[in-house]
Amino acid sequence: MMRVSLFAAAAVFGLALSSSTAMADITVYTAGPASLIDDLAAGFTAKTGVKVNVFQATTGKVMARIEAEAANPVVDVLISASWDTATDFAKRGWLVPYTSPNAVNVPDFLKTDTAVAQGVSALAIAWNPKSGTPKPADWSDLAKPEYKDLVNIPDPAQSGSAFELTAALEARSGWKLFDDLKANGAIVAGANAEALNPVLQGAKAAVFGAVDYISLAGMKKGESIDVIFPASGTVIAPRPMMILNWSKQQDDAKHFVDYVLSDEGQAKVAATALMPARTDVKTDRPLIGDLNILKIDTEAVYSKREETLAKFAAIFAK
Amino acid sequence: MQAMTGASTSAGPVEARSATGKSRSGEGGHSAALWIAATGLLLVVGVPFTFIVLQAIFPELGRGSLAAPFSSLGKTLFDPLLPRMALNTVGLGVAVAVVSALIGVPLAVFRGLFKVPGAKIWDALMLVPFMIPPYIATLGWIMTLQPNGYLQQLAGFNLAPFLFSLSGMAFVMALNCFPVIYFGVSRTLEAVGGRYSDVGRVFGASPWRAFYRITLPLSAPGLAASLLLVFAMAIEEYGTPAALGRHAGFEVLVTQIELRVSDWPIDLPGASIMALTLVLLSFGAFLVQRRVLSARNFQTTGGKPQAINKRPLGPLKVPVLMFFALVAFLAAGAPLFAILATALSRTISGGLVLDNLTLANFISIYDDGAGALKALTLSLSLGVATAIVAGLLGAIAAYVAVKTRSRGRFLLDVLTIIPNALPGIVVAIGLVLAWNQPWLPVSPYNTSLILLLAYCCILLPQPVRYTTAALHQIGDNLEAAARVFGASRMVVFRRILLPLIAPSLVASMLLVFAVAARELVASLLVAPVGTHTVASFIWRQFEQGSIGLGMAMAFVTIVLTTLVPFAILMLLRRVGGNDAIL
Repeated sequence: MMRVSLFAAAAVFGLALSSSTAMADITVYTAGPASLIDDLAAGFTAKTGVKVNVFQATTGKVMARIEAEAANPVVDVLISASWDTATDFAKRGWLVPYTSPNAVNVPDFLKTDTAVAQGVSALAIAWNPKSGTPKPADWSDLAKPEYKDLVNIPDPAQSGSAFELTAALEARSGWKLFDDLKANGAIVAGANAEALNPVLQGAKAAVFGAVDYISLAGMKKGESIDVIFPASGTVIAPRPMMILNWSKQQDDAKHFVDYVLSDEGQAKVAATALMPARTDVKTDRPLIGDLNILKIDTEAVYSKREETLAKFAAIFAK
Repeated sequence: MQAMTGASTSAGPVEARSATGKSRSGEGGHSAALWIAATGLLLVVGVPFTFIVLQAIFPELGRGSLAAPFSSLGKTLFDPLLPRMALNTVGLGVAVAVVSALIGVPLAVFRGLFKVPGAKIWDALMLVPFMIPPYIATLGWIMTLQPNGYLQQLAGFNLAPFLFSLSGMAFVMALNCFPVIYFGVSRTLEAVGGRYSDVGRVFGASPWRAFYRITLPLSAPGLAASLLLVFAMAIEEYGTPAALGRHAGFEVLVTQIELRVSDWPIDLPGASIMALTLVLLSFGAFLVQRRVLSARNFQTTGGKPQAINKRPLGPLKVPVLMFFALVAFLAAGAPLFAILATALSRTISGGLVLDNLTLANFISIYDDGAGALKALTLSLSLGVATAIVAGLLGAIAAYVAVKTRSRGRFLLDVLTIIPNALPGIVVAIGLVLAWNQPWLPVSPYNTSLILLLAYCCILLPQPVRYTTAALHQIGDNLEAAARVFGASRMVVFRRILLPLIAPSLVASMLLVFAVAARELVASLLVAPVGTHTVASFIWRQFEQGSIGLGMAMAFVTIVLTTLVPFAILMLLRRVGGNDAIL
């Protein structure tokens, strides 16, 4: 038992040593994908010698951490998966105004004084060609009898982009589509990756509003999955990058934003099957110009968010 | 003597004290134990819990402001959904405890009272479900039972309607929780032994009657303690209700807490208030357990030496072994199969066919070497450290609560029950609020020590409940006898009580190790920047849609977390020659 206590002491001591909070580094909090931020961090460090500490989780978890840390915040750069964050943080006065020289080719609707998109994802129908169902072409197809009990919908309460899609479709044609989907046995299934998994195995045929880059990455790996952007329109989810005003490393933080928007950084973004924020970076997937984007009045949509979510939940709780 | 010396790193001052003042040694031992327990519990449980309560009262606490106290209370408590979610939570907890008891108690009775062939092997197999993280096991069950899942691919049918229902959810969670009952009750029964029921038999009781009227009531502390643990584990579990319950429209408090914490604008006060509701529920269960146990005497371990005399199973041998095998298959075999099948698949849509078989996922873990290895090392060492810290602190706290008359021992007992029902995410928030204060000169926040604190807080109830049950069964005359012969309280604790509770304590430390090595929810939130535990590593893979890679890592981890405790036990046995452990 003596040895046990020695071992315990050694283990605790080891843990204490393994911690590192060197202050000259920059700290980036980001939503997924994990491989992208790892890549960007490594590339930035190789270029500038500045180390990047990464905390990666879902947008929700990242926000919870920032909220809980608010008395003594450590994050320098935040990359969220929801543009709403950028609007809200700007309103709170938490952001540093910065326009990166590399943002020249980022279209105006993907940048503000205080935020600029890292990349963009779009929502789509993710459909399993081996499911024995006809290839859907539009959102409303998934309410047809061929897809009875075979459709998953990501939860708009857990995914910002799913919420925007719900709001946009509701603004265009009311709640009827969702009533029809519910009547057809569609279910609300967790966040994005969770909704996709049953479609891969064939338990479901399609995801109504899947985040495109996860499905496109699956396709590259040889999964039986097809990504369909409905001609009637879809929504995009630009991923805002922001520098926080409490950052003590604002210059390095600005260099990091510059790096993500550089040719090299944007190539890394494209490699994860996201759309690059810069229009002049080539990639082999459909880009914003190829999609019919549903216009939404962000201000109006978010001001009645709770109402929309409650209505959606009521439809699917029946 | 050798075996137990220095069982606690903090024993130093106590020994010095008892050496200097022999006459006061008894009191010294007592107050030292109380002091250690109180400090430890306040640090591990009291600090984060206080900040959760403060957060519930002061919504702006995170920003360092005490403005607008109580403003969130009404809004959250009068949420029309709250009563239904609370009811669902209790219902789920009870259902899981009942199903776990139905599986665990019969197994424990056979294991504790009869000679079951291959007992040690069954013990090891029953530990495996505890090594499988619940969210992974649930995902495994979904991939097995959903339409076109592995079961359908192999046998042509699926059980989706069962899985996505309350009973399916209780079944999956019970398969994960029943080892708590199996180990708790079988150890207690072993200690009770057959002696007392033999006496009953001599006076003409039938075997069933002797079991029901004598053996089972005597093992009530172990049963009640493990049922309480299972109930508490079930009401604070997030992964399974989130994955299965939503399909059945079954919302529980924890899923709602998660939503409040991950949905912008973040509602920390609301989440804290709901977490306190959970704590109240668990506290209610604790009071029930206390009522059941108080005013009775369960002391079965007296001074007389007793040989552990287990009965042969006789004609029951084959059915009992089949029962053990069935449970082991459902709890360990089936989820492991699903995990391995997914890990070995090139694509999920490819299914269980030969040309979809690949080692690519395991190879990419190997290629990722550094990242995966770092996560494994961190999680395994955190697991060991948590087991030791929580085990020792738990044993001392249980000793103070059961065997001393110290004032405040009820408060200590309450402190050990609180984390039982605190969801990991709320513990994490409490820790961030507490330890990220700008005026703190040093802080464990943003170091791996914060994870150790989080795990100790979440898992402390395990060793406390197990050792409390064991201590309840030790007769006071043993301690009195030792005192008569001049032993100080510390010596009595080390040389008499500790060896007697060692089997229960070690069993609980194994469970603590297993859970700490794979804890997800708190780790995701408080992990220092740039640090990954095994669970967050796996979760990252899932989130990116690389389910196969995540499952491969999960499989490696399950194998390691199963092997490490056994290696440590073997080592201990060789070093200490102590065969009493397990």
